[in-house]
Amino acid sequence: MSSSDPVLRLRVLAAGLHAGLYAEEHLALPYERVWAVAADLEAELPRLVPFLREFRVPPGDTERKRALAVGRSGLTESFEVRLSPGWCLMQSRLIVGGMAAAPEAGGTRFAVLGATRPTALRPAQWLYGRLLGERRGRAFVDRVAERAALR
Amino acid sequence: MGIRSPQGVQGEGDGRAAPWDTAAALVRAAQNGDALAMDELLTLVTPYVTRLCRPIAPNDTADAVQESLLAVFKGLRTLRDPQAFYGWVRTATVREAVRVARRTSAEEPADPADLARLGGLRTDADGELSADVRDALARLPVRHRAVLVLRELEGLDEATVAALLGVPQGTVKSRLSRARSSFRKAWSR
Repeated sequence: MSSSDPVLRLRVLAAGLHAGLYAEEHLALPYERVWAVAADLEAELPRLVPFLREFRVPPGDTERKRALAVGRSGLTESFEVRLSPGWCLMQSRLIVGGMAAAPEAGGTRFAVLGATRPTALRPAQWLYGRLLGERRGRAFVDRVAERAALR
Repeated sequence: MGIRSPQGVQGEGDGRAAPWDTAAALVRAAQNGDALAMDELLTLVTPYVTRLCRPIAPNDTADAVQESLLAVFKGLRTLRDPQAFYGWVRTATVREAVRVARRTSAEEPADPADLARLGGLRTDADGELSADVRDALARLPVRHRAVLVLRELEGLDEATVAALLGVPQGTVKSRLSRARSSFRKAWSR
């Protein structure tokens, strides 16, 4: 059910946000390894999102955090982050990003979401243009799988 | 719309904001693309949607809940009055739950013998139906279940139930009377 399955929950948010990017796939890798990659935002997110140079996250295990994204162009963007097992939702003034994972048939169902915030579209082009589309979503999931396989 | 508050919705009578006020603020933010508010709204409304779906689609509750939530959030931008959120959720949920239940239900008439322990749609403190009541409900045709849930559990009047289900008021009346008489017969055995 939506409250307990993070992937179903992210699917509902993707519908609600009319997200430009949403992809969901079964990965033949253990959930723990997949989520270890996704949850390691500071180390992994810049490897997963090509135009991101840094993602600075304050240390600690709290579910609510503020992070700072630094783009390859040097532009910075502050993000509110919600992180818990199988669930990550990140939001800036301009864009929303999300990841979800749940164990499924010996592997993992993994989902990624990217959306722009409608009231503040224009300055978001540096992220928006690149984030859009299903192909981008698939590529993201593939990179998560590659990184998880290395762990 | 009915005057009874949605069962199992938190925030009532404990000094906090009324559930529809809490929801309305989140609806407004979510309509403006605030994903964190939308996620909170999803957490807030999921138990209510689940309670509505369980008796209507007892064999496919998880599917009914997911389909209902998808419909609700997909259409959220079209909701003009955030204060009317719960009534709006109820409409979408009942429609989706009936649709999902019909997909798999054989739609066979209720067997009174199956309803032997049914004494009405009473709920416990959490607004949940007891397991034997749910079992008995599961054996009713989907259209009877929907009418009973809206009338008895949600406390809506017949006109509102008719509008929600898109059927004439007379149909609601006759379905209700048939469903209730099934209960009574079962109870008197």
